[in-house]
Amino acid sequence: MSVQAFRLVCAVDRELLPQVDKAVARIECLECCGHNLYLGTSDGFIHHLLLEERSGAMPGHSTFSASRQLQRQLGTKKPVNELRAASALNRLLVLCDGVISLVHMLNLEPVPSGARIKGAVTFTLNENPLSGDPFCVEVCIVSVKRRTIQLFHVYEDRVQILKEVSTPEQPFAVAIDGYFLCLALTTQYIILNYNTGASQDLFPYSSEEKRPIVKRIGRQEFLLAGPGGLGMFATVAGISQRAPVRWSENVIGATVCFPYVVALDAEFITVHSMLDQQKKQTLPFKDGHILQDFEGRVIVATGNGVYILTPLPLEKQIQDLLSNHRVEEALVLAKGARRNIPKEKFQVMYRRILQQAGFIHFAQLRFPEAKELFRSGRLDVRELISLYPFLLPTSATFTRVHPPLHEYADLNHLTQGDQEKMNQCKRFLMSYLNEIRRTEVANGCKEDIDTALLKLYAEASHENLLDLLGSENSCIMADSATWLEKYKKYFALGLLYHYHGQDAAALQLWAKIVNGELEDNTRPDLFEYIVDFLTFCTNQELVWKYADWILQKNEQVGIHIFTKRPLEEQQKNSFRPNDVISCLHRYPKALLQYLEYVVLDQGLQKEKYHTHLAVLYLEEVLRLKAVVKGNCMELAEVQKKFQHLLQQSDFYRVHLLLDKIKDSDLLLEQAILYGKSEDHEKALNILVWQLKDFSTAEHYCLWNSENKDPIYKQRLFHQLLSVYLHSDRPDESLLTAAVDLLNHHAAEFNAAQVLRQVPDTWSAQLLSQFLVGAMRESVHRKRMSQLTLGLAKAENIIYQYEKLKATESSIVLSDKNLCQVCRDPFLEPAFVRYPNGSLVHTHCAASRHTNPSSTHHLSSPSRRT
Amino acid sequence: MLKKPDVKVVLLGDMNVGKTSLLHRYVEKKFHETVSTVGGAFYLKQWGPHSISIWDTAGREQFHGLGSMYCRGAAAVIFVYDVSNFQSLVELEDRFLALTDTASTDCIFAIVGNKVDLTDECASVNETEGEKPCHATTGSTAKVRKQVHVEDAVSLYKRVLKYKMLDEKEAPPAEKMCFETSAKSGFSVDFLFESVFDTVVPLLKKKANGPSETVDLTDSNKAMKGTRSGCCK
Repeated sequence: MSVQAFRLVCAVDRELLPQVDKAVARIECLECCGHNLYLGTSDGFIHHLLLEERSGAMPGHSTFSASRQLQRQLGTKKPVNELRAASALNRLLVLCDGVISLVHMLNLEPVPSGARIKGAVTFTLNENPLSGDPFCVEVCIVSVKRRTIQLFHVYEDRVQILKEVSTPEQPFAVAIDGYFLCLALTTQYIILNYNTGASQDLFPYSSEEKRPIVKRIGRQEFLLAGPGGLGMFATVAGISQRAPVRWSENVIGATVCFPYVVALDAEFITVHSMLDQQKKQTLPFKDGHILQDFEGRVIVATGNGVYILTPLPLEKQIQDLLSNHRVEEALVLAKGARRNIPKEKFQVMYRRILQQAGFIHFAQLRFPEAKELFRSGRLDVRELISLYPFLLPTSATFTRVHPPLHEYADLNHLTQGDQEKMNQCKRFLMSYLNEIRRTEVANGCKEDIDTALLKLYAEASHENLLDLLGSENSCIMADSATWLEKYKKYFALGLLYHYHGQDAAALQLWAKIVNGELEDNTRPDLFEYIVDFLTFCTNQELVWKYADWILQKNEQVGIHIFTKRPLEEQQKNSFRPNDVISCLHRYPKALLQYLEYVVLDQGLQKEKYHTHLAVLYLEEVLRLKAVVKGNCMELAEVQKKFQHLLQQSDFYRVHLLLDKIKDSDLLLEQAILYGKSEDHEKALNILVWQLKDFSTAEHYCLWNSENKDPIYKQRLFHQLLSVYLHSDRPDESLLTAAVDLLNHHAAEFNAAQVLRQVPDTWSAQLLSQFLVGAMRESVHRKRMSQLTLGLAKAENIIYQYEKLKATESSIVLSDKNLCQVCRDPFLEPAFVRYPNGSLVHTHCAASRHTNPSSTHHLSSPSRRT
Repeated sequence: MLKKPDVKVVLLGDMNVGKTSLLHRYVEKKFHETVSTVGGAFYLKQWGPHSISIWDTAGREQFHGLGSMYCRGAAAVIFVYDVSNFQSLVELEDRFLALTDTASTDCIFAIVGNKVDLTDECASVNETEGEKPCHATTGSTAKVRKQVHVEDAVSLYKRVLKYKMLDEKEAPPAEKMCFETSAKSGFSVDFLFESVFDTVVPLLKKKANGPSETVDLTDSNKAMKGTRSGCCK
């Protein structure tokens, strides 16, 4: 495959060329300087032509025309070997018959002084001279003297030898840059510094086998013909910084026209890229013998024809490569062209090339490569999205760039309708958009990206759809809604409504799904989701609106919308319990849960709720009792809750409940209620006589006396003891219970009173535990009192001592004493003396309770006297 | 434009030992049959802050003359031979060693036996690195006898140091600089290049931080200031 990098254009019409009718005259050499074209012929003529370039219809298609100017034969009929223009001096250097003469550039007259250089085999000009004199050119010749190079300074009309350097072998060709000569010797190429004399071998070759080529191609770099038809690069340091290019064996001339190396052999002009060393173009060109570049213009010539190689613009070349899908080469070329194109322009161009290359990879479904190129080319994502039918929002104003980045109308065109390929493309776009939607690439087209992504997800039923809608996004409402409806993603549509603040619409939609009016299986737990949603919904109206519907569906879950509201809202009490309760009257289970929430969790201390809850518990217990026989978990649970409420709460109406409960067999509950109304005797009687539950009775005494003074507790225990002992019907078990009670709670009783109460028949043995315990308690109390007494006495003595100390000396009150608070003198004999000795008025002390010594102001000596 | 390379690594060795294949395997992670290299080729590899140019040279006699130019200023030379061809090792010493005269004076050397996938014995070193050499070619090619062993490479390495008049104690040890690889299976290829780079780069820094040739006046100024303030006190 090849690129068209150059076009070969005829520069000079045949009839304008030197008269070749004598058949011996042929073009030996040429020089081009601006518009001036000079030809040197084999019969010793110099021809001067003016070259005119006319740009063609397309860039790179310019044509040339020439017009004849002067021609002049130098003295001899010997061929003109070389021509070089020194435009600064307005001189043309002509090598003919071993002599370099200076002629005027326009009239071709030799300089009057006749200055010349004799004995030259070949010569070259230093394009990078270090002399710094603008009116002087540095000329380097291979001398006819063996193994000699000479350097001259050539001025307008005189010549001055600068240096003569001898070489280790006979030189054949020379190129020069600064102080460095690059020489083709008999068996090798060398670099020679004519200033220091240092030389550096490059590599061997055989001058006998082929003609050497030494060509300066840029600052400090040369192009050389190497063994095996290689074009080798070498710097003045003797290092090769570019890989060689491979020419044919018999290359005559070569030059560089970045980024290409152009070489000429007997049959062809070949073009190699310096970037990847590949041959890019071959132009058939017979009998060519001159290939040279003049200020970037490459001219080739046969013995009787002059042609110009005009480079095609790099952009065109790159586009050609891209249209042949040669992405890598195009990118290499574009990158290589960076230095030849202004930075701003290059960046725009290069980005576009990257994007185009990305689309080529994309069309071949090579997504990772495409992605990388899109990323580095900063592709406007909408270019990619627009390939997919219907993905861009209808409201989008996007139009593709012109000229287009690719040849495809849309994805159908690209995949030729292949469904599998289409899906691959969609999956790629999904992952790509998802990746970039949060990056700066997305700036300015977030809506388009998110909407496209939503559409892709919806179409593919992708799980990320919900994540997208559930998080921050820029999906366009109208467009997305239509699409979601189309793909029956009603739940997602609800999320979209919610994201745009239209919670009512969202709920309406979801309710329809739950009611079965719409079908969408995205969330099997949609009902719970709605409950959750309403729980955290700040819009009270909506909550009230859907409360009935929710509670009808499921009371126990539905009530969460009232009971599980977020904490910060609870504190604001936006839902008044009265309202909620009146709303709940049709839903007993929900009502019960709500009251439990209000009373137990919230700890609201309102009689109404407590009573209501207790009554509900009671009703439930009674209902269950009537329904079930024997043990029932549910009953036990409710009963336990009921008892708990009765015990813990102090707010319900005891008598109301007592009235309701009196005729039932809920004895424990009755006992608790009696206890609440301070009717402990009745309560204990029920516990002991009717329930015969002694441990509960004991327990009853404990929890009823909780947080009350010890006397109250003692009284309760004594009451229980009385119930045990003074029964009408003596009962062995009651007596045992009494003994146990005494023995276990010895500390709670007044021992003296107990001893009076217990029957005389009881042995000391029986009550030993109680007695020991009571004794210990009594002794303990006595000692504690003694201790308290002793401490109090000690404290008293301390205070007495302090008082004595404070009053033992007299205080003299005079005019000089000032009150430490108000700084006024004392007018009355009454004063207050603080322990640190400062004296104040009695009224000052009363108004100022702080100790004056604690403030710096008062304790420091006064300066106001 | 690419950053100018600051390290140069050159692959040397007789033709057909697999220099280009090694480089291909390292750069592209692929193996493909290559034709004989003409002249030379090179790749740029970004290695941390350094840009390393790796020169692949032509092994053919015809291009032998180019070798010393390629080696000029090289920081590392990788000698490649074919483990199934003893002559390829001999050639390294006979023909290629002299090319390194132009390399930089503190150049390091590595000696690599390629094509271990062809031989009947598996290299016992570093089975974990890359694929196992045996696997890659089982059944595909008849095994050949291994003609060059690691010991031969190690002794060549020592002779290289002697030739370069380098102190064995200061140069990287032979065990670290002799490798056996397979460009075909990828065995040890990354390990080879990475080891070479890891050895070269620190040397480079040392060179950069070495005693500078100019006199640093700022330091001495500081010292003077110190003493002056000392007497003023």
